[in-house]
Amino acid sequence: MPASNPPTAPDLPFPVFQVSSQVERYLLYDINTISWLRKTHNILGVLIGTLPQIPQQNIFLGLPLELQPEETRLLVEKGLAYTVNDLDRHTQDLASQTPDQIESIRADLYRDGMELARELERNKQEQTREALKKLRSNSSSTTNSDSTAGPDPQTQDSASETTLFDSPSTKEPTQTKPTINPKPWTITPTTSYPPLSRPPVPLFPVLPKVNPSSYALFAHLHGKGYFITPGIRFGCHFSVYPGDPLRFHSHFLAMSAEWDEEISLLDLVGGGRLGTGVKKGWLIGGVEEKEGEGGDGGDQAEKDKEKSGGAGVRTFCIEWGGM
Amino acid sequence: MAVDTTLIAPQPSALDSYLKSHGLEESHSPHYQTLASQILHNLQYQHDWTSLRIHTHSALVQKALPRPLISGLPPHRIYVHPDDQVEELKRGADLTKGEPEREWVLPTHLAEKWSLRRFGEVFDAIEEEPFGEHSGKREDEDVERKTMAKKRRGGKRLLLATLGDDSTVVYYVVHDGIVKPRQN
Repeated sequence: MPASNPPTAPDLPFPVFQVSSQVERYLLYDINTISWLRKTHNILGVLIGTLPQIPQQNIFLGLPLELQPEETRLLVEKGLAYTVNDLDRHTQDLASQTPDQIESIRADLYRDGMELARELERNKQEQTREALKKLRSNSSSTTNSDSTAGPDPQTQDSASETTLFDSPSTKEPTQTKPTINPKPWTITPTTSYPPLSRPPVPLFPVLPKVNPSSYALFAHLHGKGYFITPGIRFGCHFSVYPGDPLRFHSHFLAMSAEWDEEISLLDLVGGGRLGTGVKKGWLIGGVEEKEGEGGDGGDQAEKDKEKSGGAGVRTFCIEWGGM
Repeated sequence: MAVDTTLIAPQPSALDSYLKSHGLEESHSPHYQTLASQILHNLQYQHDWTSLRIHTHSALVQKALPRPLISGLPPHRIYVHPDDQVEELKRGADLTKGEPEREWVLPTHLAEKWSLRRFGEVFDAIEEEPFGEHSGKREDEDVERKTMAKKRRGGKRLLLATLGDDSTVVYYVVHDGIVKPRQN
């Protein structure tokens, strides 16, 4: 779809829905926003939607898209998005709908569903007409050729092929059924606005809670143009791709740490080995604390760390030495 | 058969006599120096490295290194940057025949805990390429150092040598910064 229909920029800032105030999970429902984020901002998220009746189908997932807290935080800090408490907002909006509004929404959905069903029915009938026309012209041409020349095997073949799919009893159904009145389709909208109004932009954006060191590493790598997905599948915090994961293998398995956080050498050896086994590097990184910055004003340093998106991050890459 | 009750200590191992034959310096704790010597021994006799040398002071920042480091010349190149690899493959060069580069080796023990700060301190104290025993006067060294700077693709790197309790040593290449992995 994106190739034929390139995503357009959504109205900025766009809302990101937090499941509830207690849960740090962020969802996006609009496919255009999702494609646009992937194309222009290297933000991937993870599709988590499955079919309600076949939840074990988990290879090709669809809407909604779950954003990592780090991704959401980055978008909010850049002023591209704002978070909305989905549960509160939805309950509030639904409660404020009048019965007339609800009725009109239902009527709209019924009308759209009917339109879709009619469209399908029209296409079906069109196809039947085409097939019958072909059948008739074929049969007339075969009779012609029978009288003039010998039988043409190709025409006969195609004629018999058509009759395989159309039983002779369904000839000229257009005359018998001139009006189309099929059962309307049931439409489940993927977004709730419209009909609900777009959630208002808060005056003071609420920043998603993130681990400072992992967010700093995320922002640092994102700032360098890398695409980042959750790394749990590979035994790390983030897997880092040099381009869109649909086109590239990942380069690094990334792990974040505080500047003074103790790391067991066995973890480094294990990580290096794990990465080398799948042709990736093991990347560790964190916010560098330079000498002289600490000491006075620990709170200030903490604040700066919170503010700076990926500034002052230092990284090291580990690969097997091959000996 | 009579049991021989006189206990004779076994002959010291090659490594043991090697460690005893090397005096300790005052700049670093004996633990670090013995660790470095043991890694050096492993490099020399198991991996055929040559021109090995233990560095106790940083020539770059003119003070003692966080711990003694080793530099040496491997028998063949142990690291080729993926971009160089591509270029050489295009030229049809044999990658194993390339001129070996002198490497830094950081001796560590598996029981140790490291942190990003400690890696940062080590990298801040070393140049891109270590200097061997053959380099002569200080002036020459300075000139040479300038020409060497920024020569390597991927920047500073070192070989993290981790010693296990059973005297196994594993070697990992550590880069300062983001360096894309090799496609082995």
